[in-house]
Amino acid sequence: MNILEVNEVSKAFGKQVILDGVNFHVPEHSVFGFLGQNGAGKTTTMKIILGLLQADQGVVMVNGERVTYGQTKTNRYIGYLPDVPEFYGYMKPLEYLALCGEITGMKKNECKLRTEELLDLVGLEKANKKIAGFSRGMKQRLGIAQALLSEPKLLVCDEPTSALDPIGRKEILDILYKVKDKTTVMFSTHILSDVERICDNIALIHQGKIQMQGDLVTIKTNHAKEGIEIEFSKIEDLKRFQKEAKDLANVFKGKEDSPLAIELKASNMNELSKVSLQILAQNDIVPVKFMCVKPTLEDLFMEIVKE
Amino acid sequence: MKAYIAFTKKEWLESIRTYRFFILLAVFFIIGIMNPITAKITPELLSSLATEGITITIPEPTAMDSWLQFYKNVPQMGLIVLVIMFSGGMTGECSKGTFVNMVTKGLKRSTIILSKFTMSVCMWTISLALCFMISTYYTAYYWNIDGLEQILQSVACLWLFGVFLIAILLLMGAIVRSNYACLLLVGGVVVTLFLINMVPRLQEFNPIRLTSGNMSLITSEMAIADFVYSISITIILTVLSLLGAIMVFNKKKL
Amino acid sequence: MYLSTGLEQLQEYLPLLLPLIIVELVLMITALVHVLRHNSYRFGNKVMWAIIVVVIQIFGPVVYFVLGRGDE
Repeated sequence: MNILEVNEVSKAFGKQVILDGVNFHVPEHSVFGFLGQNGAGKTTTMKIILGLLQADQGVVMVNGERVTYGQTKTNRYIGYLPDVPEFYGYMKPLEYLALCGEITGMKKNECKLRTEELLDLVGLEKANKKIAGFSRGMKQRLGIAQALLSEPKLLVCDEPTSALDPIGRKEILDILYKVKDKTTVMFSTHILSDVERICDNIALIHQGKIQMQGDLVTIKTNHAKEGIEIEFSKIEDLKRFQKEAKDLANVFKGKEDSPLAIELKASNMNELSKVSLQILAQNDIVPVKFMCVKPTLEDLFMEIVKE
Repeated sequence: MKAYIAFTKKEWLESIRTYRFFILLAVFFIIGIMNPITAKITPELLSSLATEGITITIPEPTAMDSWLQFYKNVPQMGLIVLVIMFSGGMTGECSKGTFVNMVTKGLKRSTIILSKFTMSVCMWTISLALCFMISTYYTAYYWNIDGLEQILQSVACLWLFGVFLIAILLLMGAIVRSNYACLLLVGGVVVTLFLINMVPRLQEFNPIRLTSGNMSLITSEMAIADFVYSISITIILTVLSLLGAIMVFNKKKL
Repeated sequence: MYLSTGLEQLQEYLPLLLPLIIVELVLMITALVHVLRHNSYRFGNKVMWAIIVVVIQIFGPVVYFVLGRGDE
């Protein structure tokens, strides 16, 4: 079942079109990565899902219920972590979480237990001072704690890792991965390694449209072209090979770090390796290295963004 | 209901920790003392200014002078401080983004407005009561209190006007995003009411009467019956402002 | 003669003046402590606010808490 469905959502600010018929869905109990460059429309999409912005067109369904703007009932299924979460600076974390618990209608005991558990999870159990004195990373963790407080079916995080240092990022990602069994996690990011680390499903948004979506493994095998990297012992070999193999591959590129290596890409991997091995043999070239290159998300991303 | 209590509690905590309530109490305490002082000292100051040879006849100050000060100072100073103190309640949270976590947790936007209204009215009530009790105590100490019933009716009118201003403040705070724009609009409403007051036929219906007619009530120039229209209109406007604030806020981009 | 009337007057007004002075002092000290213990203001600097709070009675502290106090 899909916990979230976004159908044909469009949004423009004045004449500037931000979202142009965005379509995607998030299956339950998965970690969903929402990829896109800065300004691609990730935050806008998330705000529409939360009913904080009104879509010009389209329907968003959360847990089978339609999202309405303003009074958003579907928010009871959602835990939301804004890109820069803002709190009441004069409160302490415990007080803030207690307030959140009372607003969502949790029982006092239940809320207290859950608060302690969550503060433990995000590593704020000892931070008993006013939130005004918190660092960005601490605010981000408290943000996750407040979002998870009511055990939401869907946890929506807007760029949770962008502002953090590598260690902080890893910690946040670990937390997100940990809660996957209990809830569905959707997070937006422009950091590809974050996605590769924990996501099951992704959607890539570019120029207001979803360019691709699905589970990460399938996307990688279907979309990205696999390739071969060959490193030669001398430059003459490389030039000869390039001449012979001119029609073979549709992407040819030299490697920047090593001038004696090239990368070939084609849709038919078997054919590619067979023919290039033939060329090597026929021309009496012995390469230093001959290896298959697995597609990375980065290649994919670059391919789509460059188009 | 639980959310309403929770958010009202949050408003209370905020007023305490940001010193808002403390300032209000201090200001209204000072106004409360200033009223009898000014009434008592002014004539003596005037007489000490009088040089020899010129005799100025200055009437002995009475309890009326103290009340005159009360109904001058509370609207002029007290209400202005009240409006300034509460003007950032909506706009501040909107621009900072602290509403986002609350609303996405399922807190109804109408609850936010009603909680803020409740807490603001509570503080205004306590502040005014403090000010009134101090003024009454000292007025009774130096003079005596006559016609307590009229005095209470009169202060109740003033209280209602304050409640009306708080509702207007919430409406304006829901409409605009800046603290200063909010203050300006509330000021605009008050100025408009004063302009309307220049038409004698409309005075009877104008909420302004609740802050300008107090002395006439105490001196029995007017009776509470003369305030009925003004009171009704003020209550209606207060309710409409609150409903309007909720409607506007429901559609506001956070 | 003048002095004695002055004293008499002072005695008469003391019940009024004393609480007034106390509240003014409390207001001033609270504001001053806040100014000295915090470093961020919406505008102005520490010295400016300290002077305003101490010199201008009543209004100084009020203006500081309403307009000058930074977000902790």
